[in-house]
Amino acid sequence: MASRAFVRRSIGLALIVGAVVAQSFAGFFTQELIAEAAILAIFALSLDLLATCGLISFGHAGLLGIGCYVFAGLTVLAGGSPNLAFPVAIVSGGAVAFMVGLFAVRTTGAFFIMVTLAVAEMLYAWGFRSKMFNGADGMGGIPRIDLTAVGIDLNNPGTFALTVIVVCAVIWLLLELVVASPFGRTLAAIRQNPSRVAALGGHVYFYRLAAFTASGMVAALAGAFKVQHINFISPDLVSWFVSGDVLIAVVIGGIGTLVGGPLGATLLVLLKETLSSNLGHWYLFLGMIFAFVALLMPKGIVGYLLDLNDRLAARKRPSECRQTERAT
Amino acid sequence: MIALETRSLCKSFGSLAVTQDVSLAFEVGWRYAIIGPNGAGKTTYFNLLAGNLRPDAGSILFSGRDITRLDVTSRARVGIARSFQRNNLFPDFTVRDNLALACALRAGTARVFWRPMRQLTSAHAEADDLAAQVGLTEVLGTAVRHLSYGSQRQLEVALALACKPQVLLLDEPTSGMSPEETSRMRVLIADIPRTLTVIVVEHDMDIVLDFADRIIVLDYGRVLEQGTPAEIRASEVVRERYLGKSALGYSGGHAP
Repeated sequence: MASRAFVRRSIGLALIVGAVVAQSFAGFFTQELIAEAAILAIFALSLDLLATCGLISFGHAGLLGIGCYVFAGLTVLAGGSPNLAFPVAIVSGGAVAFMVGLFAVRTTGAFFIMVTLAVAEMLYAWGFRSKMFNGADGMGGIPRIDLTAVGIDLNNPGTFALTVIVVCAVIWLLLELVVASPFGRTLAAIRQNPSRVAALGGHVYFYRLAAFTASGMVAALAGAFKVQHINFISPDLVSWFVSGDVLIAVVIGGIGTLVGGPLGATLLVLLKETLSSNLGHWYLFLGMIFAFVALLMPKGIVGYLLDLNDRLAARKRPSECRQTERAT
Repeated sequence: MIALETRSLCKSFGSLAVTQDVSLAFEVGWRYAIIGPNGAGKTTYFNLLAGNLRPDAGSILFSGRDITRLDVTSRARVGIARSFQRNNLFPDFTVRDNLALACALRAGTARVFWRPMRQLTSAHAEADDLAAQVGLTEVLGTAVRHLSYGSQRQLEVALALACKPQVLLLDEPTSGMSPEETSRMRVLIADIPRTLTVIVVEHDMDIVLDFADRIIVLDYGRVLEQGTPAEIRASEVVRERYLGKSALGYSGGHAP
């Protein structure tokens, strides 16, 4: 029977292939949707990386927002090159996550949720009043990265969608390597039993801080893509609604599975689109669908598939034993 | 040579003094058993030694160095490892993953994020050796949550051993075990190399009398008595306060 890692990677590969194929046949509108889903998928990966060590953030939009505001500020306000602003935005996300993490990762559970939410709301409040960024009205004219030197025009919606898919795939592969590494296994051990990791001589605090910092970098990367995609920035990008959306995507897809986040993100974007164009109170129906999925599959879709795979493997094993007994 | 020493160690929870002025020295390579009635402060003393609790007063010295202010992680790194009274493992990991991770944490290779875990061949080889040492070779690939209680107790000790400690603290290693599992654990503890100092909290007097070089009796947070098993057996105070008059074959009519 297939191993859990094999199942997860197959789902990830299927998602990538599906997105690339769909993108190549899609018209403008669908391409925009695919780009939106891929950006949310990157964001979801960053949240799930943090969940690997047992921390659930409800203020992840704050870190996404750092990417948004740094990229928009450097390009529109400072007139800098978007190609330079992009890496600076990513590093800024990591730096802010590190500083917030210095005190935030001392807490866990509900306290961590509250601390991250509070910090994100602070950024929202600042963005709301910021004259520089035109406050709640928002600011447009955000340029995209210029890759014309290598023959890639990101202002073409299809090319942009494809680029985000590729970046998302690369981040997913990198994170797959990280969670399989000794560092990633230690994060998983901390999720299961932090006090034992400490008793074995592991510095739980530093591992959590490292995970939070890395997660901040990935979230800021998603944010820098977000403002490029919609060519617009407003504090709505930092609101707790955004933190909630990405949390829903990860939980529905399967927390702690990495690939669950992108799957949940894709479903969330597609469902939102289908429901909102056909129904009035579409958020109500979205909530009902997700409540139903959560009841049916408490570990999310990928978690459910992994357990199913385990059960099939367990059913197969005794029959193998019987066969060998018969043979001997 | 003294491996671990406590000087006038005190700890209270509110008005309840659980450890009162405990001064003890543990010689390198010796085996100690801490006994005493329920609530005598045995586990609290253990938690003070391992760094899970901070003492209110007094100091703890490890090879002459003051470690009173070090936390659990730092004490593990200097060479004090403990097992827990209740199983405290990584339930989703296999036995091999539990042990390999413990070895990687000790060896400082756990922070490697650019290579897969399975490439840490030395940690895995060490894990296999440890499993063999405690008799878990057959269940190396089994997830810990599917393991029997007794096997989990064995893994509990193996994880502490994976730290390659100089001082090993075992908190009731045989609690809740079947007689068969208990005898296996006795062999396992007896086989621990003499380079390690071992301190055990244990209720089973057979194990204590069999294993310990010295026995420390705690009562109401104080050291009631300490000595060789024979001395403890002969001690009037211990017999009255803890073992009971009929214990250990004693039948003399000693009126108070």
